[in-house]
Amino acid sequence: MRRTARLLTGTALAAAAVGLTTAAPVSAGETVATGGLTVYPSSVVPGDRAVVTTAVCGKGGSAAGDASAVGAGAFPLAPGTGEAGATGHFEVPPSAQPGTYEIVATCGDGDRRVTGDLVVTLTSAAGHPAAEQVYPRGSVKTGVGGALGPGPVQTAAGVAALAVAAAGGTWLLHRRARGDGI
Amino acid sequence: MRRVKDTAIAAVTAVALCSGAWLLVGGDHPDAPPQPSAAQARTDRAGQADRGAAAPALPPSPPDRIRVPAIGVDAPLTGLGLTGTGSLDVPPAEKKNLAGWYEAGTTPGETGTAIVAGHVDNAEGPAVFYRLGALEKGAAIEVDRRDGGVAVFTVDAVEVYAADAFPDEKVYGAADRPELRVITCGGPYSRSTGYQGNVVVFAHLTGSR
Repeated sequence: MRRTARLLTGTALAAAAVGLTTAAPVSAGETVATGGLTVYPSSVVPGDRAVVTTAVCGKGGSAAGDASAVGAGAFPLAPGTGEAGATGHFEVPPSAQPGTYEIVATCGDGDRRVTGDLVVTLTSAAGHPAAEQVYPRGSVKTGVGGALGPGPVQTAAGVAALAVAAAGGTWLLHRRARGDGI
Repeated sequence: MRRVKDTAIAAVTAVALCSGAWLLVGGDHPDAPPQPSAAQARTDRAGQADRGAAAPALPPSPPDRIRVPAIGVDAPLTGLGLTGTGSLDVPPAEKKNLAGWYEAGTTPGETGTAIVAGHVDNAEGPAVFYRLGALEKGAAIEVDRRDGGVAVFTVDAVEVYAADAFPDEKVYGAADRPELRVITCGGPYSRSTGYQGNVVVFAHLTGSR
């Protein structure tokens, strides 16, 4: 069930990415901005807040946001500080249906229009924030077997000890071969 | 006189032979890390039985340190992400007393499933969670949080899962109360593929201070 949901979300996100790169059709007189509007998080559940930023309106530029596609109406984007660009936010209505919605912002000068996609998914468990989490998958590589066998230092010591044993043994055998006896 | 010298050389030879063989076979740590017994397994409805004992959730705060007194663990925590295949990343192996927590997930103490992982061993020998498989139900796990508080968890179960049949949902899935998983390598070991599974400790929040 969760896996299916994740798969669907993944598909929707991929679709959103495609949507961002193929800029929405705009009416004459407006400059086409390719994507340009970042929606965070890009995937939300109904009732969540989404934050929208764009750098297209330039430093100190404000914008008018429009999230009526998802039923949230108009919202303002205030000029950001530094390089953050214009930022605004809106609440996704609790009644929003799952799907991908186009969020639009028009720069204060009225010339430039940017778009970004918002994906609404249904929450799986009683609306707690974990619904947005990405969970790890599979096992974890947390060991190499170094506790099981000798380490490099130990191996070297072992080899050295065996070399001593070999030398001693050879010497004793020589003595015996010469008939000196032990 | 010569006989004494010969005896000495023979003795040194014998001692060198034995200690050399002992060192090469595995020396002072020839043992595989401890693995949990069946008695530590999750029972059906594990967690349901002790729901009443759960402590109220804490506000989110990143963890700094984990302590498991029963197995002598006291280690700092580093943030972990995911690998390219979506599996949980691991702390740098050369730091043998370092564990990690899944930074994009739940912080230990808040509602949900917080995840901590550490190495059972590295190339040099045993590491931070070498004895994790020896942990038993009821043991305490303490997590120091950046807000100055300590979240105290109680162990519900200790399991071993094979890597090729890893129960993602059980281990990483969402929870409606503050829970903790502590993960390290475990299961059978083979020289070609390494450890073939993970030891997973299931715990839930039972107190804070």
